[in-house]
Amino acid sequence: MLRASAAFLVATLLAVSAWPRAPAPAPAGAEVLYRQGILPSGAPLRGEREGADPVEGAAAACVNCHRRSGFGTEEGRIVIPPITGKYLFRAGSMDAANMANPGGEAAGPRRSRYTEQSLARAIRTGVDPDGRPFDYLMPRFPLDDASMTMLIAYLKQLSNHPVRGADGDTLQFATIVTPDADPVKRQGMLDVLEHFFGNKNAFHLGKDPPLQSDRRIHFRVVRRWQLQVWELSGPPESWEAQLEQRFKAQPVFAVISGIGGRTWEPVHRFCQSESIPCLLPNIDLPVVAEQDFYPVYFSRGVLLEADVIARRMHEEAEKSGLRRVIQVYRREDIGAPAARALAAAVAPLGVKAVARELKSTNPARELADLLRETAAGDALVLWLRPGDLQALPAQPAANTSVFVSGLMGGLENAPLPAAWRTSHMTYPYQLPPQRTVSMNYPLGWFNIQHIPVVDERTQTNTYIACSILAEAAGHMLDNFVPDYLLERVEVELSHRIINGYYPRLGLAPGQRFGSKGAYIVHFADPQGKRVVADGDWIVP
Amino acid sequence: MSPWIKAVVLPVFAAALMASFALRAAADEAADPHAGHQPSPAATVVRSTANYSVPPIKLVRDDGKSVSLADELNDGRPVVLNFIYTTCSGICPLASHIFSQLQYKLGADRDGVHLVSISIDPEEDTPARLRDYASRYQAGPSWQHYTGTMAASTAAQRVFDVYRGDKMGHTPVTLIRAAPGAPWVRFDGFATADMLLQELHGPGHVTAAVSPLSPAGR
Repeated sequence: MLRASAAFLVATLLAVSAWPRAPAPAPAGAEVLYRQGILPSGAPLRGEREGADPVEGAAAACVNCHRRSGFGTEEGRIVIPPITGKYLFRAGSMDAANMANPGGEAAGPRRSRYTEQSLARAIRTGVDPDGRPFDYLMPRFPLDDASMTMLIAYLKQLSNHPVRGADGDTLQFATIVTPDADPVKRQGMLDVLEHFFGNKNAFHLGKDPPLQSDRRIHFRVVRRWQLQVWELSGPPESWEAQLEQRFKAQPVFAVISGIGGRTWEPVHRFCQSESIPCLLPNIDLPVVAEQDFYPVYFSRGVLLEADVIARRMHEEAEKSGLRRVIQVYRREDIGAPAARALAAAVAPLGVKAVARELKSTNPARELADLLRETAAGDALVLWLRPGDLQALPAQPAANTSVFVSGLMGGLENAPLPAAWRTSHMTYPYQLPPQRTVSMNYPLGWFNIQHIPVVDERTQTNTYIACSILAEAAGHMLDNFVPDYLLERVEVELSHRIINGYYPRLGLAPGQRFGSKGAYIVHFADPQGKRVVADGDWIVP
Repeated sequence: MSPWIKAVVLPVFAAALMASFALRAAADEAADPHAGHQPSPAATVVRSTANYSVPPIKLVRDDGKSVSLADELNDGRPVVLNFIYTTCSGICPLASHIFSQLQYKLGADRDGVHLVSISIDPEEDTPARLRDYASRYQAGPSWQHYTGTMAASTAAQRVFDVYRGDKMGHTPVTLIRAAPGAPWVRFDGFATADMLLQELHGPGHVTAAVSPLSPAGR
């Protein structure tokens, strides 16, 4: 009995002395301080620099430089270090074996570990625990004790919680498919994803040893990658609940690629509310909400096309004597919101925007009737899929300029009748001859993997999305934190040269669309697929 | 339980625990011998001069007008120039903040100095976004922001040797030409508003043309 009590006492003492403890949850108001620069009192956070006016409030918030994850970032030669508790309360080091700095490179000089005292002093006076002053970029924050305690408690728990969808062995991902997604594109996408994930795991050797090396190399931490395919069903109003259910049954680290049709909104909302990165889906109608952190898109799709067409109309308004824009679309497809966007964009021109909805499955008659309506000085905008373009009458109306959505119509594969092939088609990508080098990579990879190319655009975009994910994940070392994944994508994306169809991609805080422009092209010949740009790349 | 454990092991263990706590505390103190003695750091800034040749690169000004860079930098006024992008969260807020301060310190003289900020993320930074960014820093009419095509922005960056491949590679640089025809002064690092003002006013950097800011006849 006494032996047992002694053992219990010893065990308790040992447990009490064990470091580190699990972090307490963030105190209420701490996140507001960190992300918005507002103190518990409601006053703005104030940051001071010598020789400069102070910054206050949102401009002073820690998140600006140290980011949501607290892992910092790099800009040029400036490394903004991590400030999570895990990093602060152990010694900083250049040694890869103890590399706590997730950035990897340029970890900075050796520094002693912080204590709560020295950390408070650092924040107030701008010196590290060894007395070295911080870079000029870091302000000094004269925080009161209560705010300081709150902030330090926040930093201790920041990015220090178990991560959903990431365990010692496996990273879980999901890809989301809406019920109205094009079946051919869907299959092509899934093919690419299956092979990419399969290859990722080909060299997996089992549970990793602890991150350890006596060489200063930038090395990767290998996890098995597993992909869930979440196929949605029923009406869009039910999708968010379905996703919540799936996520509860199998939490995932991030959502990658995916494919949609008429709307992606429920998926966007799900990812944003659950704080899950949602990377680069195959959809041509995204949700435009760039202050939402988690969903990231290749481009604004048909909304970008609408702005590009409007820009061209603005430029040519006087010359062309444009009076009226007639827009043709199907109500249940993405052409409808695109048409609304274009109507709004040309309103300041004093141009009348008229909507004509196609209703029948065989629209040849409707399209012919529509054409008879047009008058000289009109512009016709076709937000139509290939099937409907094929039903156009052989001859377009005279004295009417015609614009065609390249994304909806099929780009260089758009089946426009011969006489329509001088129409202006929006083309939000590099033209085929410009992109041969960039396309060598995905096409070569499809070839080696024996993946049939059933929809080159969708499959290329899926491959690029996977590459971007792999690259960003590789730079996180063993800090698998969803916010950090997105922050790495933001930093790294514009370095990429191989972007498939896109000339370039770039992101930043508050920027959620990787590509911002488009060409307007026309077919070079009545037959064949050669397209020619009418002018330069347009960024509306 | 053996009396030996009660009498010896437990107390020794407890003492060891206390000692380990004390040692940790002592180590923390020892690591910080100079706390409080350091002055706050001045910005580390490197000043140099150069003769950059500015070709007529076509840019788009924040009022939407298509302009030539050469013309914008040669309207007879001294020029202070930096490179920003509106979604930058580290360097640019401070760089623009410094411009804002400089504008303030120039006071009544502000119209006589052309502050120029060129976007290095031109596809995102439309004129509308630039106007929004400029208003955050209370930019007056003499502080203008510029965008354009990717190629034009890259060309402008190359003129002043600030191009670093993509926007994430940029470093803090301010360029000043205190009078038309004078060499460009380059500050690498965060030159403060006072440093920039001194450069605009300072002796020895003004050529035969009289700077509008200097007393007549200097």
